[in-house]
Amino acid sequence: MPNLVRSRMLWAAVLLAVAAVTLPWWVSGYILGILTVAYYFSVFSMAWDLLFGFAGEVNFGPTFLIGLGAYTAAILDARWGPPILVCIVAGGLVALVGGLLLAVPALRLRGPYFGLITLVAVLLLQNAIVIFAGITGGEIGMTVPDVMSVSAEQNYWYALAFLVVCAIILFGLSRSAIGLILQASGQDAIGAQALGFNVTKHKLAAFCISAVFSGVAGAMLVFYQGTASVSTVVDLGVGVQIIIAAVLGGRRTILGAVLGAVFLIVAGEFLRPLGQINTFVVAALALAVILFFPDGLLGNLLRVRERE
Amino acid sequence: MVWLQILIDGFAISSLYALGAIGFTLIFGVSGVLNLAHGGVMLVAALMGWMLAGEAGLGTWLGTLLGVLAGLVAAYITYLMVVRPIQRSSAIPREEKEIFVLTGTLLWGIMIQQGMAYIFTDNPVTMRPLFPGVATIAGVRTPLNEVMIAVVCWVVIGLLWFFVNRTRAGKALLAASMNPRGLTLLGFELSRVYLLAWTLYGVLAGVAGVLLASFLGVSSNNTGQLTASAFSIVVLGGLGSVSGSLMAAYVVGYLETITAYLIAPTLRPMPALVLLVLVVYLRPQGFLGRR
Amino acid sequence: MSETSRLSVRGLTKRFGGLVAVKDIGFDIEAGEILGLIGPNGSGKSTVMKLIMGIERPNAGSVKMDGTEMAGWAPHRIARAGVGIVFQHSRPLHRQTVLEHIKLALLPDSLIKLVADPHVNRRAREIAERVELGAVMHRHPATLPFADLRRMEMAKAIARDPKVVLVDEPFAGLTLAESESFAALIRTFRAEGRAVLLVDHNVKSVAALVDRALAMYLGEQIAEGTAEQVMQNETVRRVYLGGKIETRERARSEVVSKPAILEVEDLGVLYGKARALDGTSLHVREGEFVSVVGLNGAGKTTLFNAISGFVPYQGVIRFGGQDLRGMSGAAIARAGVVQCPESRELFSDMTVRENLDLGGYHLAEAARSDQLTWLFELFPILKSRQRQTARTLSGGEQQMLAIARALMMKPRLLILDEPTLGLAPVILEQLSKALESLQRTTPITVLLGEQNVTFALPHADRVYVLEHGRIVWEGDPSSFEREMGRGYLETVPI
Repeated sequence: MPNLVRSRMLWAAVLLAVAAVTLPWWVSGYILGILTVAYYFSVFSMAWDLLFGFAGEVNFGPTFLIGLGAYTAAILDARWGPPILVCIVAGGLVALVGGLLLAVPALRLRGPYFGLITLVAVLLLQNAIVIFAGITGGEIGMTVPDVMSVSAEQNYWYALAFLVVCAIILFGLSRSAIGLILQASGQDAIGAQALGFNVTKHKLAAFCISAVFSGVAGAMLVFYQGTASVSTVVDLGVGVQIIIAAVLGGRRTILGAVLGAVFLIVAGEFLRPLGQINTFVVAALALAVILFFPDGLLGNLLRVRERE
Repeated sequence: MVWLQILIDGFAISSLYALGAIGFTLIFGVSGVLNLAHGGVMLVAALMGWMLAGEAGLGTWLGTLLGVLAGLVAAYITYLMVVRPIQRSSAIPREEKEIFVLTGTLLWGIMIQQGMAYIFTDNPVTMRPLFPGVATIAGVRTPLNEVMIAVVCWVVIGLLWFFVNRTRAGKALLAASMNPRGLTLLGFELSRVYLLAWTLYGVLAGVAGVLLASFLGVSSNNTGQLTASAFSIVVLGGLGSVSGSLMAAYVVGYLETITAYLIAPTLRPMPALVLLVLVVYLRPQGFLGRR
Repeated sequence: MSETSRLSVRGLTKRFGGLVAVKDIGFDIEAGEILGLIGPNGSGKSTVMKLIMGIERPNAGSVKMDGTEMAGWAPHRIARAGVGIVFQHSRPLHRQTVLEHIKLALLPDSLIKLVADPHVNRRAREIAERVELGAVMHRHPATLPFADLRRMEMAKAIARDPKVVLVDEPFAGLTLAESESFAALIRTFRAEGRAVLLVDHNVKSVAALVDRALAMYLGEQIAEGTAEQVMQNETVRRVYLGGKIETRERARSEVVSKPAILEVEDLGVLYGKARALDGTSLHVREGEFVSVVGLNGAGKTTLFNAISGFVPYQGVIRFGGQDLRGMSGAAIARAGVVQCPESRELFSDMTVRENLDLGGYHLAEAARSDQLTWLFELFPILKSRQRQTARTLSGGEQQMLAIARALMMKPRLLILDEPTLGLAPVILEQLSKALESLQRTTPITVLLGEQNVTFALPHADRVYVLEHGRIVWEGDPSSFEREMGRGYLETVPI
């Protein structure tokens, strides 16, 4: 049955998407570039929100999964040069394995312990990349011979298309029967089991989905930028930004993560002239959000509707 | 000869790790907070100590003291402006409070790191040794500073032990880690007990920070690694167990030193991380974990 | 008979570390029958329910439904086999409507089915109508009153037409009228041929509803039969009442004239949406010993927690003329209102001496050692076990330590919550003697909350009876036997 809020939200989303498609005709290449990155970032955040908001697992190191996808694709392309699509798929698969590796302790550990493991995973990956600098380019990073396109408009549309597809899938999932089961599993595992749901199976599925989307998005980002480096795809700070974007937009809304990510990336650009201090400002902003608006943008809007 | 060097160096670095880790585990045991800004607090102490001692010309000893004070201030800010507001916020549901505190301290740690990097750049700095000179232990020449740092660490740990086990205020702290409700029933304001815990933490982390600056040097890039080492050690030893952290600190310290000497200095942080992953998969409560 | 029983439990045992929570429990429930599983706190009744549902795995025993062994199965498998459970506490999803919650219960455990089958919607509506949620099924849980939330939980439990229904504390937090309507709903379950297990604190509240009852105490079965039979059972009466009611005459004249030191007016407490206390008023005079008797779940602990400042409340609480509202729990304790809770809250890894020292923390050195000496006289066993850690003490010794620790604070008002829980009669004797000595030698004021009437009455100057969150009787101990005696445990026919 038509949920009034949902259709309003959907219409707003459709309008935004249409507006976004038309942007390249009246906006500079520079801004398109920022938005392209923001769109990939949005997918990172949506994948995180699915795992947190719906399976109740806090992943402090989304960049572990993203980095796995990104570097797999980059290394494959640099060494053996298969078509970009193959590299991206490979990235997704390796990230999937990474997701499963994370899932195993998650299903046995309490909250903060699991969070720590995700942090450690990122650190391990970082160290591994530095150690095997011969293959990965170490701390400086590596370049890939192929890119998706050299045109800013084309890259923008690729990113937008990717975002829209991912958003449809992830949002659709969140609103589907499976999404409902996932939400119940995350919030009250025992209650969900008592209703006949194999919570373990569903959480594992959530990890896999989150991992695949993160990995694929990471790989695509590499073929947009033409480089893969620790500071862009495996950094702890980047991971935190992803989380903040999701929280800013509103936990458990999926679409809110898009808003949060775009806002964050754009704000980061505006603050770039400040120099080094811009990360500080973003972190401060994020802290303020946590302290004063933990429900985030969309979250607050939805809460208002609920009370009516 | 190398083994003796490893023994001594490992001892010194382990003692330093122990100090930091004990502070970390104290805060977790008493107030249930995993402070991911730990590296940041140590960094503030280290950099302020270095600046005041060297650039401001206050001399090594005064600089060290003020550095510790700076660490204390950083700890207070962490508690009063990040942790406590989140804990008291009515907008965050109870089940998610832990996660939000974790994220909040992580963010604050990043803020400290970036802020310090902005002010001091991310170049590594070393403080002039507190104890200049060289000591010879069984034929191995070691900087006296290194030996004394280990001694200072143990003195501080000893003082802490004395405080917790022999003074009334210390006992109250211990009780808070066992049963905060019990303390409230006996008329203790928990907010005061927590403040005491964070004060102790600030001093411990502050001392660890300035000593680190004096021994190995620090840069803002180390922040994440410092926090990671501390919680690796604490999880290995068992969250909430002080003796566990002590043991684990030595295990990690020696593993790292051996790796750095015998395999490669760049691989230094690896063994601790790998060990941590193994422990979490096989024995999540750590060596001596209770909680 | 056991082969055809809908639910058949035999030799069910569960240990948590060294503690045996459930020992060798066995019973049958036929289709179309309601069994009441009764027991005070710590009796193991909730654990039995969890064992049947698979939330805990039994160490031994069997749970069979229509002859199929289910012990050791995962909870979701047991649920799919046809067991539904209504938990006492639940956390609804805030963004979903009532209807969506019920639909959730109807969904298959599939990873690939994205959209629910069309009949799910229709069925969910039917169920909503059935539990009288038809009017509110499109609303969100946050907007609903407590009773409707409980109805929603019932709806979820019966959505897939279970053969066995487990209900935990069916009437907790409900008003009398709401309880009636819930009882009617549960009767329809029986009429539909389901086997129903009700878990509750006391027989009285479910007596009218159950066909049979089984009473538990400390993990073991102590009585089985009809509700009447269980209520009359000697062992059950001893466990709940403590045995035959005796009273002692106390010189009360001096006390009656003293001013009230504690005044509670029109106290109301809500846990989320569940009402735990409703319009409660009582007073305690200086030097008095007042007992509040009531079965588990009646609201005694809630009452004490409100007085001690641990839960928010409506109404007025005054101590020594001072309004306690707004004061922190610790401040209230320092003001002289010291509680010794049911859970004791000892520092288990500290020694007896250390626990006591912490109690006397705020006293001057000399005063503390005086107090310690006095307490060691009152509880000699504590003196001999000074250096032992609290964890290693027996239940009775721990209780004495908890009381002694509270007394170290030199309270003006001592609140004792269920001190006799789980203690052997011999220990109760010692405790009783200590309380008597306390009364004789000090001007202390005591507020005692107890289920065990035999323990609570002899010391008391006045007695209140708390039932389902309300004070239903007030008077002196000698009148209690006459007026309340039978009605305390049994439903007295009007």
